Amino acid sequence: MSKKKYTSKSGKERAVRIAIYIFLTVLCVIWLIPFVYLIFQAFRGESTSMVTYVFPKEWSFKNFIFLTEKTPFWHWYLNTLIIALFNAVLQSAIVLCVAYALSRMRFKGRKLLMNFMLVLGMFPGFLSMIATYFILKLFGLTSENAVPGLILIYAASSGMGYYIAKGFFDTIPKSLDEAARIDGASRARVFFRIIMPMAKPIIIYTIMMAFIAPWGDFMYASLITFGHEEAYNVAVGLYKWLDKEHISNYFTVFCAGGLLVSIPITALFMSLQKYYVEGVTGGAVKG
Amino acid sequence: MAEVKLTNVKKQYENGFVAVHDFNLEIKDKEFIVLVGPSGCGKSTTLRMIAGLEDISGGEIMIGENVVNDMEPKDRDIAMVFQNYALYPHMSVYENIAFGLRLRRLPNDEIHKKVCEAAEILGITELLGRKPKQLSGGQRQRVAIGRAIVRIPKVFLMDEPLSNLDAKLRNQMRAEIILLREKIQTTFVYVTHDQTEAMTLGDRIVIMKDGYVMQVGTPQELFNHPANLFVAGFIGTPQMNFFDAKLSKDGGKYTASVESAKISLPEYICEALSKKSKLPDTVTLGARPENLILCADGTPGAISAEIKVTEMMGSEIHIHARTAGGKDIILRVQIADMTDEEQLELIKRKHFSFTIRERTVNIFDPGDGRNLAVENAAAVPQKAETVVNTDDFGKKKKKKDKKSKE
Amino acid sequence: MSKLTELEYLGLPPMKRKLYNAGQFFVRLPGNVLNFLKKIPLGIWKAICAVGRFFAGIGKIFADGDWKTRLSFLVMGFGQFFRHQIGRGILFLGMEGLFIWFMCAMGGGYLYGLKDLGTQATIKTLNDYGLEVVTYKDNSLKILLYGVLTIFIVVGFIYTWLINIRQNYTAQKLIEKGVRPKSFKNDLKSLTDEQYYKTLLAVPLLGITLFTVLPIFFMILIAFTNYDYSHLPPDKLFGWVGLENFRTMLATDASGSDKFAYTFREILIWTMIWALVATFSNYFLGMFVAICINRKGIKFKKVFRTALVMTIAIPQFVSLLLVSKMFADEGIVNNILLQLGWISEKIGFWTTQDMARVMVLVVNLWVGIPYLMLIATGVLMNIPADLYESAKIDGASGIKQFTKITLPYMLFVTGPYLLTSFTANINNFNVIYLLTAGAPKTMEFQGGAGGTDLLITWLYTLTVTNNDYKIAAVIGILVFIVVAVISLIVYNVSPAMKNEEDFQ
Repeated sequence: MSKKKYTSKSGKERAVRIAIYIFLTVLCVIWLIPFVYLIFQAFRGESTSMVTYVFPKEWSFKNFIFLTEKTPFWHWYLNTLIIALFNAVLQSAIVLCVAYALSRMRFKGRKLLMNFMLVLGMFPGFLSMIATYFILKLFGLTSENAVPGLILIYAASSGMGYYIAKGFFDTIPKSLDEAARIDGASRARVFFRIIMPMAKPIIIYTIMMAFIAPWGDFMYASLITFGHEEAYNVAVGLYKWLDKEHISNYFTVFCAGGLLVSIPITALFMSLQKYYVEGVTGGAVKG
Repeated sequence: MAEVKLTNVKKQYENGFVAVHDFNLEIKDKEFIVLVGPSGCGKSTTLRMIAGLEDISGGEIMIGENVVNDMEPKDRDIAMVFQNYALYPHMSVYENIAFGLRLRRLPNDEIHKKVCEAAEILGITELLGRKPKQLSGGQRQRVAIGRAIVRIPKVFLMDEPLSNLDAKLRNQMRAEIILLREKIQTTFVYVTHDQTEAMTLGDRIVIMKDGYVMQVGTPQELFNHPANLFVAGFIGTPQMNFFDAKLSKDGGKYTASVESAKISLPEYICEALSKKSKLPDTVTLGARPENLILCADGTPGAISAEIKVTEMMGSEIHIHARTAGGKDIILRVQIADMTDEEQLELIKRKHFSFTIRERTVNIFDPGDGRNLAVENAAAVPQKAETVVNTDDFGKKKKKKDKKSKE
Repeated sequence: MSKLTELEYLGLPPMKRKLYNAGQFFVRLPGNVLNFLKKIPLGIWKAICAVGRFFAGIGKIFADGDWKTRLSFLVMGFGQFFRHQIGRGILFLGMEGLFIWFMCAMGGGYLYGLKDLGTQATIKTLNDYGLEVVTYKDNSLKILLYGVLTIFIVVGFIYTWLINIRQNYTAQKLIEKGVRPKSFKNDLKSLTDEQYYKTLLAVPLLGITLFTVLPIFFMILIAFTNYDYSHLPPDKLFGWVGLENFRTMLATDASGSDKFAYTFREILIWTMIWALVATFSNYFLGMFVAICINRKGIKFKKVFRTALVMTIAIPQFVSLLLVSKMFADEGIVNNILLQLGWISEKIGFWTTQDMARVMVLVVNLWVGIPYLMLIATGVLMNIPADLYESAKIDGASGIKQFTKITLPYMLFVTGPYLLTSFTANINNFNVIYLLTAGAPKTMEFQGGAGGTDLLITWLYTLTVTNNDYKIAAVIGILVFIVVAVISLIVYNVSPAMKNEEDFQ
């Protein structure tokens, strides 16, 4: 009796497992289809418009050569890269400073400041864009100078995204700060000599996110760079190739460009995946 | 190597909770002071105020010649050992110990010499290259101590340094701290909730409860002449037994009658009592478990009791019993010179009589808990929900007694 | 439903307990909301008290202060000079000088300009040669922007002035006690120690003030003007119109039509449905996938996980634009389905409102599941194993273990995340804009809104395409109110947010 029950249970277990394998495999295929499709289209030699079949009839680098020779794609690429590099440095510095101050120090108005930033975050970001646009214009940082302008606005508002880093700092025992202060360190030294070396995962996470974000930003970039093609970032540049007038000539070129953007970002992301997962789960769990 | 003086020190948190009331203490140079009390009594807060990790709401703290109230911890020339060791996880043991010296910009060879010396004293020389993660609890504790002693601070602060260790290691480290103290002559302030640690380590002990100092004294004073019921109950295991007693005066002599027993009080208590203008009729009489003595049934002046539980501890037996008058008591009986049969007989007993060793008793005022024979004894604070600040609507907010420190 | 005592409650069978809990939740809901509403006047009262105390404080300083302190009310830094704090004195005096110069030279004019945002419109005339000559006069936009900037500078100055008199007062008190006040040098040094937070926060807060607070303030003001395509500076002026725009948005506009109000209502409802469905569908499906992947005995965990996580890595403008084209009328999906003979005519995935709405929700699953899978995996790993062990010993089946341990634990731990992701979905620009750009457009809607438009994408269309800034500003404010009210209620009512210790 007991033996029979055992076998039936393991049989059931096997069925469940097979079902799960099938489900997950289907899921993964669905999830990967767009990427496979992207690659096929990027290397398609014949016709630049959308076609009715998936597999290209002719494999070639034509689209990439076209990108390089006939479009300012690499210019946009460079714009985005510069923005991303600067943003990685500035935004991480700002986020870490704010997170440390709010996590480790107690001062008058701390709670007020945190609530204030919470409330600010509830305004749709785009609402402030018009005014930001005119402020940047005041400094002459729109259109042809949009690259420094974008760096400035990304970095300027980044202080509000301190939650995840603060959550991480909160888990470092306070007694470490105290021990260091008794050992003779000032708060600044505690920050650089004790907390920073221990916060490596969150620093990598912050830098990574700050680096990746500008590659995908369409909303802000489209407004700030408005009307000046030279200053576009990749998202704004590529977006317009898919509108009605351009799509028949540029669809495969868009795919080639998209691929060129995706490959380095994906590679970076995948190699630092561990830190991303830590940051995201830690952040979600603490809210 | 300095005196520490605390005058009317007070700590009040922003939410109105008072963690330490009016703390006064003069710590002599090279003295080992232990602050002890149940959790939430303010002992750690006091230590952290001395360290400068907690602001002082009132009063004054002096280390050596300096008032340190507004001094940053780094300028106070103190060292501290934390309960969780607080070792810097990204540095090797060597760098952990050297960190404080490096911040003071000592020349490298001097740092090296000092680190090696400290490691020598604590026997951790072969661990210097490791990271804290690779160490056992006891080793971490040693490193934490090493980090503190390497600077030869004026005052050495320890915040429950042994409570994260297991029982066996704790005993061993306790002995090592005593040895260490002889090697490095400096002032120690040591916080613990464990009364055994307090008794074995301290030159003097400060017992605290709810932010008030209950008694300051040598271990002997605290044990033999507790200032109030709280101290009497806190120090010594098993706990002191308390009986209701009636006082009667016969010439210069005072007698306390407990149930069927009459206990003539020792000389010094009688003297103290006769100086009092007013005495309560009933008092609380305290006697430690080892001072209740088994005797044959029917002995004059004996109290009889029913046994509830008998605990065989090996070298002694603890008897939990209830007296004829309905008091729960504990007896401690040394059994080293009993035969196995005698021990067995004792364990199986259901009923016994005992007398109280008169020389050792303490008399307390049941009202405020003070020991009637100790001068200037502190009253036991009434444990009640303390009412703290009234808010803008004039409603009274109640705060729970225990309040985590933030 | 009557309230039970604790013991009575514990004696109920499990199903009845759940019913009771659900009942009690609704019984308590009005009370909780009411309690929350009660807190608002209390908060306001507290704020009034704080303001009162603030002025009382200043009065007290003036009353208690000696002549040096009192004179510092007028001449900043004065007291500091006489108390041998030269460095600080120069700093304060300099700031006052700068401020007075600014106000006289420009600030006063800017503030005055706020009154009507310019009176003289740009004049275009033809000159003798028949060419157009443009004479730029007032630019309402600049007037408003400079006015707002000036207000911020004034507020900043008042704050500096306060610091000035407070410092004077503390220095005076210290000297009276016979203590030397801290020197400027010490003060600077403490910026790396006790006051290190000031050093750390200075730049970030300046950035936030200039590029977040000020713009938001500016846009809130825009909501009370008639700034739109027919009042575009520098050619035309715009001015204050009071609550006109809010009336247009919530009731009827000047011409008596309620089309804007209708559009707003429809889009608000869709935004809420979107946020709810998107959040919870991602949440539960993501959790389901995570449980499948992490099930004991399943191999290739890493492969499955990596395949899913790829979608997070690839920039959304690439993946979502591509997906949107794949489902287009002439897109690959329609073509393949036609070739397979599964359909006889093309499916308009983005052409009807209902279909498009379903599609964005489905594609959003594709975006969101990997995130949730990661988060859920993290949480699952953290569930203490002994909970499961004791449940097994108690004889709980797999499903029981899920409903009794996994689910409550997940919900508890990720509760705050659910809220943030709900509000993030209300403002989810990327998915909607890149997939449909709000399409399909309908004639029913005003202001260029389409069937899948959320408030945030409508806001984008209104500003970038339609230049209807006044309405956009109103929408922005309304979005804020919606998000704020939801967050506040959830935080105040939900028990999970309060009993943080339950599971720890």
